[in-house]
Amino acid sequence: MTSAPVPMEVETLRSAPSLPTVFARAAATARGRSGDSLPHRLLELPGVTVERGRLVDYQRLCGFAVGDVLPHTYPHVLGFPLQAALMAKGDFPLPLVGLVHLENAITVQRQLTADDTLDISVSATRLRPHPKGRLVDLVTEADVAGERVWEGRSTYLHRGRGDASAEPGIPAPPMPQGQASAVWRLPEGLGRSYGSVSGDVNPIHLHALTARTMGFRRAIAHGMWTYARTLAALGGQGSGPSASHVWFRKPVFLPGSVELLVDRSQPRVVAGLRAHRKAEIEHLVLTLEAR
Amino acid sequence: MTQTRRAAIIGGNRIPFARQNGAYARASDQDMLTATLEGLVARYGLAGERMGEVVAGAVLKHSRDFNLTRETVLGSSLSPATPAYDVQQACGTGLEAAILVANKIALGQVESGIAGGVDTASDAPIAVSEGLRETLLKLNRAKTPQERAKAALGLRPGHLLPAIPQNVEPRTGLSMGEHMAQTAERWGITREAMDELAVASHQNLARAYDEGFFDDLMTSYMGLSKDANLRPDSSLEKLAKLKPVFGDREHGTMTAGNSTPLTDGASLVLLGSDEWAAEHSLPVLAHLVDAETAAVDYVHGDEGLLMAPAYALPRVLERNNMRLQDFDFLEIHEAFAATVLSTLKAWEDEEFCRERLGLDQPIGAIDRSRLNVNGSSLAAGHPFAATGGRIVASLAKMLHAKGKGSRGLISICAAGGQGVMAILEAA
Repeated sequence: MTSAPVPMEVETLRSAPSLPTVFARAAATARGRSGDSLPHRLLELPGVTVERGRLVDYQRLCGFAVGDVLPHTYPHVLGFPLQAALMAKGDFPLPLVGLVHLENAITVQRQLTADDTLDISVSATRLRPHPKGRLVDLVTEADVAGERVWEGRSTYLHRGRGDASAEPGIPAPPMPQGQASAVWRLPEGLGRSYGSVSGDVNPIHLHALTARTMGFRRAIAHGMWTYARTLAALGGQGSGPSASHVWFRKPVFLPGSVELLVDRSQPRVVAGLRAHRKAEIEHLVLTLEAR
Repeated sequence: MTQTRRAAIIGGNRIPFARQNGAYARASDQDMLTATLEGLVARYGLAGERMGEVVAGAVLKHSRDFNLTRETVLGSSLSPATPAYDVQQACGTGLEAAILVANKIALGQVESGIAGGVDTASDAPIAVSEGLRETLLKLNRAKTPQERAKAALGLRPGHLLPAIPQNVEPRTGLSMGEHMAQTAERWGITREAMDELAVASHQNLARAYDEGFFDDLMTSYMGLSKDANLRPDSSLEKLAKLKPVFGDREHGTMTAGNSTPLTDGASLVLLGSDEWAAEHSLPVLAHLVDAETAAVDYVHGDEGLLMAPAYALPRVLERNNMRLQDFDFLEIHEAFAATVLSTLKAWEDEEFCRERLGLDQPIGAIDRSRLNVNGSSLAAGHPFAATGGRIVASLAKMLHAKGKGSRGLISICAAGGQGVMAILEAA
């Protein structure tokens, strides 16, 4: 983890911020954001408990086994309101609405269950140039009784004036090739379904009409859904101590069909999603390994 | 001909049983069976293991779950090279599955297997009405617009009502409880005797929990760590207040307290050859000695729906040269308190044993302190196909604690006038 040059200001919340409110505030204050520095602020929400009904909805929608074990990606859902709240604040240099989720990495230190009470914190780090604009990392950390059990790093791109000489990040492995191991037909309402279980009601995911206002011809699937669905297809390994890294490529338009490709030849499993019958359109590549 | 061997019962796992629309209201059969299998895999270190087979079933099953057990295996950490199939024999499903796996082990066809069952009364399959189904099929067969229009015109508003599964015998239209009420009346089973059996079931199950009996037989699920139906403070006074729900609604004897409630849950048993168990450093609790499934003509004949186990017993006793009184433990599934009591009374009845079972002497009474000693379905609940696995794993553990050579009998009645019976012997 990169440490901030000056001590973090810690802001402790008593309840999870309401995402529709946060999104509305972020949209209203999108214009005029600028600057080269990130707020030195850690947003924390202690004592987060898992609502079983929401967990079942999430597990069902993403294809995980319905039960007590938290999926690899679930703490991200619990921490996402903090991410959004941090980015909606006035001192955050980039506008939340319009950021492109480019990469995500997750480390699960131990298997988590619905009985665990999580202390979640979020901070922003590494504002840096990219050939197509600027990148920022939002780091989410979850502790149980003072022990770090889960961490996630979400990398977002703000499109703008790029820097062709920008230092590249960790390169993605090549997309697995060959025959699809599964074909998934994603319904038109998938974005609304995932929005209701995750709280992520970003308009680009909800409906073709709201997506059009953001410059997309149709609604696009949440990256965190395609990521979770792919991990679920890889089996239970990700719920134990494990690490994953996903690189998002082209958006998945809804409704649509995607193909899953898996390469298990190495201990680090590589999986990819591409458009059904259009192999050249790649949606994501991810890696998963046990720790 | 291969020499046969006795299959070993190594252990088991179940999730606590939940009442209908309770903690597992939104869990599917596959979800519960997967959680149960993963618990078993974790307890016995079977991750990545290619088992000989996994056999399980469910009574209330969606048509999409045609390959329920195989799908469960694929979603588990067992080797995906483990074959699986579904069986269905109403409430006998779980025990019959264990017998099937044990027989393959006995014949040397497999070295190891997992058997059991799951049921949900909450996430029940709801079908379209017969009228709508027929109309849709006609529409599908229609080739011309005229035929399609004609087929569509056959639709009636009433067809839109869904068909909800019912706990009713297709040939008699009577619910299982109504059938049982008839049998209970015939055998003169009193309300007091039923309530006493129900109280004993709750007290025995509560004591078993207190003693930690289920610690290595269960994994918690969806926030439940004990059977939700268990009432440790159940008493004759409390049960006496309940109104009859089957048979005569005023003077009847069967209440919600002495009948099993609709329940959700799953159970699995781990079986293997002695050699397989030794290779995997796993304990052998008991062996499956013999099994017998009987069926009675409750439709045209003069026999009660749930009386088939009474007929299975003399056959399995004769084959094994045993008496009922030789068993150290008797596990008679409590579909209703009246089921257990009618069966016991029939075995004591000289005329029944002579006329129906063809015996010279009655089978005789049992020592009630050996009956369902760690509780049974009245207290635990009864997710139909999950009951067999619950009993096999519990009885194997009890016999192992009792000592080598001790024997136990399992008796489970099932819809359709069937009854499954098995004998276990401590290893």
